[in-house]
Amino acid sequence: MKLLTGFKLAWLGLWANRLRVLFAMFGVVIGMFSVIVLASISIGVKDTLLKQMGGLGAEQILVIPGRVLDTMSGQKDLLSGLTSVPSTLTYEDAKEAEKVENVRSVTPHLETVTTIQSGEGKEAKKLQSVLVGTTDQYSRVQHAELAEGRFFTKKEQETKAKVVVLGSNIHDGLLGKESTSEATQTPGHPAPEPWWKRLFSALTAQKASAQKQEASLVGKEVAINNEKYKVIGVLSPNAALGSSTDNNVVMPINTALQETGMKNLNKIIVEADSTETIDQVDSDVFAAIKTHHKDIDYSVVKQEQMLEALNKVTTILQAMLAGITVTALIISGTGIMNVMVMSVRERTREIGIRKALGATTFEVMLQFFFETLLLCVLGGLIGLGIGYLFIELWNHNISVFSLVLPLWAVKLALYSSLGVGTLFGIYPALKAARMNPSKALRFE
Amino acid sequence: MIELRNVQKLYRSGGEKLPILRGVNLHVEKGEYVAIMGKSGSGKSTLLNLLGTLDVLDSGEYELAGQAVHRMGKGKRAALRNEKIGFVFQQFQLIPNMSVYQNVLLPLTYGQKRWSGKRAKVLHLLKEVGLFHKRNQKPSRLSGGEKQRVAIARALVNEPDLILADEPTGSLDEETTENVLQLMEQVHADGATVIMITHDLEVAKRAERILLLKNGMLKEMANEAAYGI
Repeated sequence: MKLLTGFKLAWLGLWANRLRVLFAMFGVVIGMFSVIVLASISIGVKDTLLKQMGGLGAEQILVIPGRVLDTMSGQKDLLSGLTSVPSTLTYEDAKEAEKVENVRSVTPHLETVTTIQSGEGKEAKKLQSVLVGTTDQYSRVQHAELAEGRFFTKKEQETKAKVVVLGSNIHDGLLGKESTSEATQTPGHPAPEPWWKRLFSALTAQKASAQKQEASLVGKEVAINNEKYKVIGVLSPNAALGSSTDNNVVMPINTALQETGMKNLNKIIVEADSTETIDQVDSDVFAAIKTHHKDIDYSVVKQEQMLEALNKVTTILQAMLAGITVTALIISGTGIMNVMVMSVRERTREIGIRKALGATTFEVMLQFFFETLLLCVLGGLIGLGIGYLFIELWNHNISVFSLVLPLWAVKLALYSSLGVGTLFGIYPALKAARMNPSKALRFE
Repeated sequence: MIELRNVQKLYRSGGEKLPILRGVNLHVEKGEYVAIMGKSGSGKSTLLNLLGTLDVLDSGEYELAGQAVHRMGKGKRAALRNEKIGFVFQQFQLIPNMSVYQNVLLPLTYGQKRWSGKRAKVLHLLKEVGLFHKRNQKPSRLSGGEKQRVAIARALVNEPDLILADEPTGSLDEETTENVLQLMEQVHADGATVIMITHDLEVAKRAERILLLKNGMLKEMANEAAYGI
């Protein structure tokens, strides 16, 4: 019997028992769906985080509060070696870093939580937001695109101009549109929406913002701590894992320092001229800032070191997902094997008939083996299709992070289904093949 | 065609081995029509299973068409079954979820022989047994007689030298029995060797020779009294 005939018989066998096949396939479908989706989540999360980190640029370094301890090999241990201490970084440190040779730009970053208000009296709307004091370089360095209006200028920064650029959620919230921010409701407002509606809004943030009306706060005034500020721009939504500018209210650093009364920065982003000078800039910036500090209570970290730390985290995530996937595959494989063993038992008489008609042990084995294999491959393809649909739906509706379906995950799913079919198809096939035909024919 | 020499077959029950065939000898010429009779539990079906190479003998020798079956492995026995033997069972033994056409086609799927015009061959046989119009139906939609005619068509599709029929009329009414027996006689007339197991003397009388299996031994039946009727 040719292999093709074996496949044909297996196909006929499956077709003849299609209801059972459908149930049996369910396990494989779920298994393959998990392979695809979990691989996509793992890659998607990694890609998003890497993009965020990578967005800093290879020529950028970060000055952060606290001292990052070194590992035994002398490397900075960003995962477990980061000490938690209050920030002592100041705007003066940033200015000192600016003087370092081969430094292209220095972007200080001051952050605090504040309440922003638009309108007055009954029309007033208040929202909690993240106040960010920074320089005119912010939008370039943070890749924060403007949806409308403009960013503040260097002159406005130096003159402590009372201007702000709003994150998309804050802007929409103040206009009374649905937003993803955890807005504080002012008294007299309608009761909060049910959780599922809020969740849906959060998941479909991109859509909601795409549907926003023409109304805008650009050119109008808002109040922060009873001080009036002019809205000059609105940032595009960039809901993402980890950091997002959607809930930010960005103002010039000098204005922020004066209005908040804060002195310490959350971070300073230093940009070198080129990647060739990065190591030199790294040590020079460290030395320059040290002139203002008694102790080393800050750290200078290169993008490369952050990516390394991130890689470690995502590798752990991937290992965990691989574990879940393998478990799902084993469970689906065992399910298939159970169904096939049952099928062999139920079809004992059929096996006897086939043998009486001249089927050899090998031919019977091949038929049942191919049946399991076909079942798994079909299940795998269906799981792959559903997984692909899920990813497409996710990417069209959810903007927190994108799912990425790499070719290797597709191959992995197909090879896994083949592997599961092969591994778990052998036992039922052998069971069928070893049957004594005369006994099988008498089976009731 | 068939030569059995001192064949023994043991029946295993609870660790004990009981002889069911004790030194059976049988010689059947090519083209003969033989009926084997015997009471329930006399070993008729066991003997048929041995003749059909579905089971192996515990001792003795078996030659079929000049080939020593007792020395063959499973693979060769399966090939021999496919090429030389056609089975007709009392319970028809059709695969329920396959159509009439697919059931008859099945023997041509196995074995080494390359068949040309398989479809035409199957359809021709179905016409011969009067079931061409029911070729796409499942066995569950057929009457007992129709099922047996499908089984006969399946037994003939690979042009076997030997037809082994195990109580082929056991589940049929009188009229259908007559139809099936006529078909068997036709098969025999076309040159096939037919061995039929039955406990019905009237059915057995249609054969050229009647053998009686009693106490694990096979003997020519001289008269009806020998069967104990």
